[in-house]
Amino acid sequence: MTDVEETLKRIQSHKGVIGTMVVNAEGIPIRTTLDNSTTVQYAGLLHHLTMKAKSTVRDIDPQNDLTFLRIRSKKHEIMVAPDKEYLLIVIQNPCE
Amino acid sequence: MATRAQPGPLSQAGSAGVAAVATVGVASGPGPGRPGPLQDETLGVASVPSQWRAVQGIRGETKSCQTASIATANASAQARNHVDAQVQTEAPVPVSVQPPSQYDIPRLAAFLRRVEAVVIRELNKNWQSHAFDGFEVNWTEQQQMVSCLYTLGYPPAQAQGLHVTSISWNSTGSVVACAYGRLDHGDWSTLKSFVCAWNLDRRDLRPQQPSAVVEVPSAVLCLAFHPTQPSHVAGGLYSGEVLVWDLSRLEDPLLWRTGLTDDTHTDPVSQVVWLPEPGHSHRFQVLSVATDGKVLLWQGIGAGQLQLTEGFALVMQQLPRSTKLKKHPHGETEVGATAVAFSSFDPRLFILGTEGGFPLKCSLAAGEAALTRMPSSVPLRAPAQFTFSPHGGPIYSVSCSPFHRNLFLSAGTDGHVHLYSMLQAPPLTSLQLSLKYLFAVRWSPVRPLVFAAASGKGDVQLFDLQKSSQKPTVLIKQTQDESPVYCLEFNSQQTQLLAAGDAQGTVKVWQLSTEFTEQGPREAEDLDCLAAEVAT
Repeated sequence: MTDVEETLKRIQSHKGVIGTMVVNAEGIPIRTTLDNSTTVQYAGLLHHLTMKAKSTVRDIDPQNDLTFLRIRSKKHEIMVAPDKEYLLIVIQNPCE
Repeated sequence: MATRAQPGPLSQAGSAGVAAVATVGVASGPGPGRPGPLQDETLGVASVPSQWRAVQGIRGETKSCQTASIATANASAQARNHVDAQVQTEAPVPVSVQPPSQYDIPRLAAFLRRVEAVVIRELNKNWQSHAFDGFEVNWTEQQQMVSCLYTLGYPPAQAQGLHVTSISWNSTGSVVACAYGRLDHGDWSTLKSFVCAWNLDRRDLRPQQPSAVVEVPSAVLCLAFHPTQPSHVAGGLYSGEVLVWDLSRLEDPLLWRTGLTDDTHTDPVSQVVWLPEPGHSHRFQVLSVATDGKVLLWQGIGAGQLQLTEGFALVMQQLPRSTKLKKHPHGETEVGATAVAFSSFDPRLFILGTEGGFPLKCSLAAGEAALTRMPSSVPLRAPAQFTFSPHGGPIYSVSCSPFHRNLFLSAGTDGHVHLYSMLQAPPLTSLQLSLKYLFAVRWSPVRPLVFAAASGKGDVQLFDLQKSSQKPTVLIKQTQDESPVYCLEFNSQQTQLLAAGDAQGTVKVWQLSTEFTEQGPREAEDLDCLAAEVAT
């Protein structure tokens, strides 16, 4: 338990990070530092997008696989680290 | 003796005549020429034509007959299956998904260990990266100028010389409604007025013909659409009544009214606002403020009656002494409220603009009873918690920022707009926009640093605090003869639209340029910096 907490705290306290959340394979948020409604929205949408990105990469080259997903928007950057069972989503406000 | 046969007439074949008659020479006695009896004689030939059909020949006539052609035609019939179906939109259910507390902790820990290094590396790279400096993407077509999309008016109201006193956009952003009345009459008037609504998404939109018109017996001074029902609109009248109409019912649009009871306002209603009911977030109440100093909360009950549920009264003596006010209270003088704005961050906190020119920070949760002798069925409370420094004249409009919890704007008859922070009494900045009155000020719903103000000189000024804090970025001239613009509202669904109503009875819908509708990258931070300039 403390291992998980410590890791998440380390990530959350990084420069510019607005929020961190862990989502399971069905798109249900497990741990989050943001409020409920925002978390649910991010989890659902990013889960779909990650699945789509993964299938895109696999379709182009079946030997390849998705390792990391980054979305840059006007206001901040969303980073998704995918895995078989979980997704780690980090939202960062870059420096400029 | 030889007899001589006299030749008889011969008959011809084919005649239907009588057969020849043989003349019989009558035997006569002996004498000269007459044969004697019992003597042979030959007679003529007698012939009888045959009656047999074969001899007579075949007599025939030709006749023919023909059956007429048969007319044919193809036709088909099909029994249809009918299925009834209904569609109903429901109010959105608030999301309340809780993250599950039971999960496989060792696997989660293993996963986090695996990805932590990667994520930290990417975060660091991102923090130092200059890859996207100055990189901008244009998703929509850039609109460079502010243009007038529609000029709407209702000719019977304009013929009576009525002004547009208030404008409201509905919850879907497609209908704009305006209220007609007069803002310069000082006494009671029995002027009939109108509430008109135009649906801008309809293809057959006619600017001089509203899609819904409601006749009201008294001048309507303020209007507010329901936050979720697209056709319900509340209005406050000159007589102090508050009415709620349903614009989809054209034959009898009035839904609820307060009636003229002891509870209703005794002065014209300055503003009405819809508030969510505490506990039932999909039901709404109407809050009305008027210059008699009362702030009343109404609930619609059956039979079309609006009932008072909570009430507040502003009394001069009970105002908090945060600033020195010039007026010294004598007795229980009421403080007339002319504008109200609710905070988007705290639903029970609201700002009142007063006739005395000082904004008041108030709360719906205030408990102190008001020292007033006004009759009321519900005990009236004193809502004021903080008094801000006054303007040079009555305030006509206040607006709370949708992006920062502490900032709000107020505009009044002195032509100044004050930007206040709720943490201190004197304003953060004060901008002189016009030499004449300012009637309305509104924050933009998309850009944290932009607001619009309507002035008595007939123009709408758009301010961008990021570009310049001294002069307006865009000045839109609404009326040609400098008659005042009384109200303006941004459309929160279609954020490029701004509607403004003026003294000539026309509503103009302006399309703003892209710079006013798209947020820049650092605006929220700039707003925070602005708010943080609180004098210590």
